[in-house]
Order: sequence, then structure tokens, then C-alpha cells
Amino acid sequence: MRARLCDIEGFVERDDVKIGYEVHGDGDPTVLLIPPSPITHARSWKGQIHHLARRYRVVTFDGRGSGRSDRPAKPDAHRDGEAVGDILGVLDAVGADQAILVAHCHAVYWSFLTAAAHPDRVSGVVAISPGVPFLGALNENFVDANAHWEDEVSAPEGWRMYNRSYWRRGGYENWIRFWFYTLAVEPHSSKPVEDMVTWALETDPETMILAAERNSGATLEAVEALCRSLQCPVLVLHGTEDRCQLPARGERVAELTGGRLVLMEGVGHLAPGREPVLVNRHITSFVDSIGGKPMRSQTWTRGLSRRRKALYVSSPIGLGHARRDIAIADELTKLAPDLEVEWLAQPPVTNVLEAAGHSIHPASRWLVSETAHWSSEAAGHDLNAFQALRRMDEILVANFMVFQEVVEEGSYDVVIADEAWDIDHFWHENPELKRGSHVWMTDFVGFVPMADGGAEEATLTADYNAEMIELVARHPRIRDRAVFVGSPDDVIPDLLGPDLPSTRDWTTDHFSFSGYITGFTPPDIDAIAAMRDRFGYRDGEQVCLVSVGGSGVGRALLEKVVLAYPYAKKELPDLRMVVVTGPQIAPESLAVPEGVEVVGYIDRLHRHLSVCDLAIVQGGLTTTMELTAARRPFLYFPLRNHFEQTRHVRYRLDRYRAGRAMDFYQSEPEDVAAAMAAELGRSIDYLPVETDGASRAAHLISELI
Amino acid sequence: MRARYPDRDGFVVRDGIKVAFEVYENHNPTILLMPTWSIVHSRHWKAQIPYLARHFRVVTFDGRGNGRSDRPTQSAAYADTEFVEDAVAVLDATATDRAVVAGVSLGAHWTALLAGLHPGRVTGAVLIGPTTSLVSVPHPKRALPPFGEALGASDGWAKYNMHYWRREYLDFAEFFFSQVFSEPHSTKQREDAVSWAQDTDPETLIAAEMVDPIASDVAQVALAGIRCQVLVIHGTDDRISPTTAGIALAKATGGALLSIEGGGHLPQARDPIRVNLAIKAFVDHVGRSGVLA
Repeated sequence: MRARLCDIEGFVERDDVKIGYEVHGDGDPTVLLIPPSPITHARSWKGQIHHLARRYRVVTFDGRGSGRSDRPAKPDAHRDGEAVGDILGVLDAVGADQAILVAHCHAVYWSFLTAAAHPDRVSGVVAISPGVPFLGALNENFVDANAHWEDEVSAPEGWRMYNRSYWRRGGYENWIRFWFYTLAVEPHSSKPVEDMVTWALETDPETMILAAERNSGATLEAVEALCRSLQCPVLVLHGTEDRCQLPARGERVAELTGGRLVLMEGVGHLAPGREPVLVNRHITSFVDSIGGKPMRSQTWTRGLSRRRKALYVSSPIGLGHARRDIAIADELTKLAPDLEVEWLAQPPVTNVLEAAGHSIHPASRWLVSETAHWSSEAAGHDLNAFQALRRMDEILVANFMVFQEVVEEGSYDVVIADEAWDIDHFWHENPELKRGSHVWMTDFVGFVPMADGGAEEATLTADYNAEMIELVARHPRIRDRAVFVGSPDDVIPDLLGPDLPSTRDWTTDHFSFSGYITGFTPPDIDAIAAMRDRFGYRDGEQVCLVSVGGSGVGRALLEKVVLAYPYAKKELPDLRMVVVTGPQIAPESLAVPEGVEVVGYIDRLHRHLSVCDLAIVQGGLTTTMELTAARRPFLYFPLRNHFEQTRHVRYRLDRYRAGRAMDFYQSEPEDVAAAMAAELGRSIDYLPVETDGASRAAHLISELI
Repeated sequence: MRARYPDRDGFVVRDGIKVAFEVYENHNPTILLMPTWSIVHSRHWKAQIPYLARHFRVVTFDGRGNGRSDRPTQSAAYADTEFVEDAVAVLDATATDRAVVAGVSLGAHWTALLAGLHPGRVTGAVLIGPTTSLVSVPHPKRALPPFGEALGASDGWAKYNMHYWRREYLDFAEFFFSQVFSEPHSTKQREDAVSWAQDTDPETLIAAEMVDPIASDVAQVALAGIRCQVLVIHGTDDRISPTTAGIALAKATGGALLSIEGGGHLPQARDPIRVNLAIKAFVDHVGRSGVLA
């Protein structure tokens, strides 16, 4: 799912060539993001758009030859002048008299041509890895490849794959893969590289050849004069390890334009995708410096006059975190009564927080819905959680930028991040941004490859795990406290990857353990009887609750389980099946056999689960551990390809000897019915679940305030 | 030892009165740090100078009545306009066409007057804990007893009295700065200020105190004449000048307000880091808007 959809989209048509543009937000000034087309298109700004559109009017477009724009076949249609015409055409179409241009690679040259010819239209240029021809030295590999561009060769390798006939014979994809892997010099760049390759493959070799053979007609003298002629402010951002545009070129551009040069040490050519936080912050401060906005009034509180404040960031994936986080916050407030806790969270967590009277930070409204992303990633009873998390990258950037603004304004003593991946990851990647103490909380460590993903996924999970290990080792000051919600025995023994430590060893070395936190106390025998009575669960009845939690993921499971009812009822005459569809699935939309009851939402469902005779649920940790704590028999169906449910949760439940794991795709309704009967008949010898987890976690946190 | 010594110093002389200035050379822009009530001298900027001088050219001067400047005995010599014209003379003597000007307390009042009466010389004004008649704000806590009358009482603000100053000047200074620095643990700041107060004498301060306030029509012309950008910094626990004065002044000048929660009357001394960063950010902001170019 995208972090932000555009508010307006349209096309500009010039000489029968259509150019697709998008407008995001309606702030001021207008910022035009110009991608280096046709090798990529507007999506290459995905890490910038949400952040910038909260402040400015952001306009972006797919350059001719890419994305939604046409791919003209005439060489003349790819001249630099046409790109300038497209830029002006888009500005006209959106009614922008003036804009700040943000461009990458050779699009910087187009933005300079535009600014020079129309100084009244351009109030500033951010030049990222500026591809202004002739300036500075060229990469010698590229000079060599260029010299052989027209050669007829059968199987070129490396840089020589930059070859016209090779591209025409099907080698274009090989070249693109080589090219972006070469440019991504930073370790752990798999996702940005994958993105760039995907977008580059959306155009075709013939268009790329036309663009490659474009003759700018420029000379060194002309481009130097162009740079010198610019009247607007220029910001140059350049990675020192850029192999496409060598950093000397950026230095020369800054020198000639009188612009400010920001060198990014260790960064390659793909800064907008690989260093989105840094790039966003530089763009914002540049735009604000040009906008001429007045200084804002503000309040600064003297150190001794400050109230103690915590910012609690609760992961929105599943409601279980909300309950445990509220339990921890309540314990924390007992230890530090003057502590003010503000929450940065999104629905459905905010619903629970509001109901409990907690203070939700107003910036929460800017957060992009992670729940919606996860729902969009599920198909049937299948959700590849690792890949879904990877594809959530632009949402994580967008939400981190919101979070960072909140901590820079709020002077918090501590940030408590319960599986708020963006905070932990981007603070490690941008350690200078850390504010306040940081408590990192999680109930699992390590990505696990799924069999369906093959060797490629195993490589990727190992790479992500290695990145985590390296970041934590390099910047130990970022996590002031890491709390594992569970016990060392809950941590899987699997290696984090080839040549990497075991998950349990590494976690034991780097975390404190709070024990499990359910956020509620299981009812005793008397309470169970009273609750069953109140809920209308009669004596002699075997109440089976079927639930898939609050997300829209799980319809397939409900549909399968209800079909088991007739079979089960034969074996279990006292069976009563109640299906709880949750807020996302309309109860009437579910077709059920006679006898099955269907309800939509049940307030505090966990209370019902804790007194039922049997539960059938997904493989999420929260619900299954609630059932474990309440010592109920249950069947659970981990989502296929969901590494957390199929590996981490299952491992933990096995340790507690709780529940019966079921494979959704291997289980027919008869199998489900048989498992129901078997589970109902088993004796409950679960290990007891800790009840002091919230208090232990609160003590660990309170030492920091 | 000072953290930073001036690169040069000198005097301007107006109507036979010498006013001492100091210059910390650097590239432009220039920051002019104004004097304040003559009970202290330019050392009250001691926490700003080393930092600001690394980034800008800094000029300070001792207000008439303290420091290395003369101590005229005539009240008229302490008119608001005299301090403003001293500032202009210092700008001239240091070949400073234009400057960002910062002032504290009464110095903020003079800074605002300078900005309004000589708008061509001031590119930005930082007004800290302003004690000013440019905006009319009733003081919520402090109603001063008659300054010139002999009083029976000598508690609290009753010390703000000509006769008491002649008798117990040091005690008055200690009391006054205990009110100025209302923040806990301010012993060093109080000590500094009291020692600077002893660099002048009660008769000089009495002469300065007896001066007529600036005519309200001149004040209004000055306020209307402020065209530069303004930053007001004001502590919420300022017991000398109410926070409402800073709020009103920011509003009247279209300026931004930095409110210091828990801060007293002289935050540049008590919260030097925050004030230094605020002044730097303000100068950078003014610079970006092109005024300093």
C-alpha cells in the first residue's frame, strides 16, 4: 500500500505526447519532484511525498518514456528541451506560477535548463546527485561502456552490458539489475534496488535507447555558463560513493551555482530511496529557508521546570499491543505518579486508548494506517509478513517523519516503542536524531524465511537480521533498554542467518525479559461461572467461540470453520458455535450452516474467550496467549507464510503446551471437527502464564525516568 | 579570566560623556548587544559573547553609568534617547552600517526604540524580558512604593527607594537580583550581578532613576517605525517585567515569541544555552530573508 494517494491527477499533452502528473496536498510553496526518466518515474519519490505533502503542495510526474506517460518513438521527442517543456507544462497545468524543483541525476540538468530559461518560475533547486554533463570526471567504467555502446557483442558482462544491441536482444533486464546493484553501495539495500529495477522494467529497451542516444548539443563552456547563470538558491546533495554521478560533479555544481553542498558520506546514487529521512530533512529545511515564512513562536521549558513525559508508541498491528501497553503504562504511572504519558497511535489502537481515557497526541492523525496495509497484503489465509513489512517501507518512512517531529517538539524523557519498527530502525540509521531515552519492546526477534519464498527469501531475511545486528552493535546508545515481552525460553533457537548467531543467544545478550504481558487477570472458577451466566453460556453447553480478531484478514478461516460445525455437532451434541466476525466483516455476509450463531462485534472479546469451552482462532500471539493464560482449549490456524505466527508464536505455544496448531490449507471441515473433539477432550496442563509482566516491564522502563 | 577578550575597544564621546565599546571581529552580520539598566554593565552578556563571536561580528558597550563608561550626575543624561544615540554612535564608530540588535530588560526597550527611530540601522531585534513603556501592561505583582520618600518599612520592594539605596545599597542589590533570578539554584548569577552592581554607586543609579520617561508620542512613533523582524524572549516567572509585556510587544511588532517556561528576568544569564541558540537561529533566519545580504 502507498503511504499517500494523490489528490489530483491528470495529463499534460504536448505534441501528442501525454505526460502523467500527480498533485499531493495543497500547502505552500509548490514543490515539483522531477525523476530521472525514462529509467524511473514518479514512484522513485515514494519516500518523500507523504512527508513533503504535509507541508507543501507536492507535484510530481512521470517523465516521457516512463510510468503513465507516453513512450514516443521519435528521437527528437527525447531532447532535453522537451523535458523542460514537460516541466513547464506540468507547472502550468497545476496553476503553479513558481515552484521549487527537486531533481535527481540527469533530471537536475533539466531543472537547471528550466530555471535558467524561466527564472521567474523557479525559486530554488534541490540537486540530488546532479547529472549535469561535462562537469567533473566521469566514471571510467562508464566511459569505456559508452565507447562500446554500438558494438555488436554476444554476451557482454558488467558495465559493457550498457550496449544497444544487447538490450535489443533481451539483455536490458540483465543490465538494469547489474546497474542498480552496482549503484547500491550501501549494505542492506535490497528493497530500494528491487524498487528501482521494477520501475526501470516498466519502460522498454527502445525507449531507453532513444534516451541514451539523446544528444544534448551542450559543451563544457555552455553548462558552466548555465550553472553560473542560475539566480535561485541551489542545494546539492551528493553521496561520496555515487558511481553514476561522481561526487566531484556535485562539488563543481555547487561551486558554479554558489549553492550549498551536502556530501553524504558512504551514500551511493540512490539517496532518495536509501536515505529518505536525511533527504527529506534537507529538502524541508531548504524549502523553508526559501519560503520566507516568519519565525514561529514557541515555548521552551527550563530543565527543572519540566513535567516528566513519556511518549508511548503502540504498534497498530492487532489490538493485543494496546491492552498490554495500557497495562504497562498503568504500572508505570504507579511508579512515577507525576509521569505524563502521551500516545502516538492509530486506529484501532486509538479506540481502545480513548475508551480508557488516555491522551492521544494530535499528530497521530498524520500516521498512515499500517492495519490497512496488512489487510491489503493478505490473500485467503495467506500473508507473507516479512515481505509485507518490506513493502511497508514507504509507510514506515512517512510515519517516522511524523514521529520525529513529535519528539523534537515534545521534549519527552522517554519514548516507549512497542514494535514501532520505524523508530528503532531509523534512529539507528540516523543516530543524531534520537531524542529522549528509547525503550524498544518486542515479542519476537528475527525474521524467518518461509519455504514458499525459497532461497531468495532466506537470503533476504538473513540480510535484514544482519542489518539489525550490525546497527545495534554499532550504535548501542540508541536502545537504552530493550524489553522482550516473554522469557528467554520463548525465543526460537534458529540461527538469524548463515554465519549469524542463534536468535536466542543474540536476544538473551541484548534484551531484558519482562515475561509475558496479557494485560488482564484470568478469571478464577467463581468468576468464570458468573461470567458464563452473564454471557448466557448455559450449563451443559459446550461453547465454541470462533474469532479472527479485529482485522479483515480471516474471512477464509471463518468460512472453513463453520463448515465443520455439522460434523462436530454429530460428535458433540452439546456443542454451541458462536462466530465473532469482528468490525471488518459484516456478520450477515457470512453464510453459515443451521445452528451456527454469528455476531459482529463483542465488547472485550477476551473476556468471552477466557470462559469459553473451546476457541478457534488465528495464530496471532495476543489471542492465543490470552487463551493460554485462561487455560482454555483452542485450535489455532497460523496464517500461511506468516513467519511470526508459523514460527515464533507456535514455538512459544509449544513451550506452554497450549493449543493445537492447524494448517489451514491441509484441513478439511471434517478434520477441523475431529480436532475440535480431540481438543475438548484433552486435559489442560499448560504452563502458567506470568501475571507480573506489566509490572516488570514498568520497572525496567522507570529506571530511565 | 574571560572566555573571550575583545579584538579592539574604544570610546565614543557625546556631549563630553565617554561611552566604552568593545568589538569582537568576525565576518558580518554584526550583532550589537545593548546595555541595560546601569546597575550592571556589558559583562551581563558574558555567556553570549564567546559563542556569538564565533559566528558573527559582535559589538558591545557599557551603558553610561557603569563599567568603563562615564557616570554623569545629571538625570537628563540617562534619557532613553541618550542610550539610543549612544548605540548609533557606537555603530558609527565601529563602521557598522546595520546590525541585528539584542537587548535585555530596559535594554530591550532601548533596542526597540533604536529599531523604530533608526530603522535603516537595525535588521533584526531580539527583545529579552522587555521592560518597556512601548506597550502598556499593568504589573500583576509589583506596585513600587514612592522612590523618593523616606519610608518606615524596608521589606521587599520597599528597598526600591532612594534613601534605602544610600543606606543599604548592597542589600538592595542582593534583594533585587534575588527577584531577577527567580529560578532555583541561581547563586552564581546573583553573585555576578551583585558584583557588577558594585561597579557603580547609588548616586549614579539615583540620577538615572530620576529621569523623565520617554514622551508617549515619541514612543508611539518609535513603535510604529519598527520594520525589522523581531524575536521576543520572555520567562514565565519574570518578577520584574510581566510576561504579558513580552506577549504584547511581540504582537505589536509582529514578532515571534520564545516563552521560557519557569524562566526569570535575565534568561541570557540563567539559561544561556537556550538563549544563545535562539539568537543564532534568529540571525540565521534574518539572514535567509535577504536583509543581511
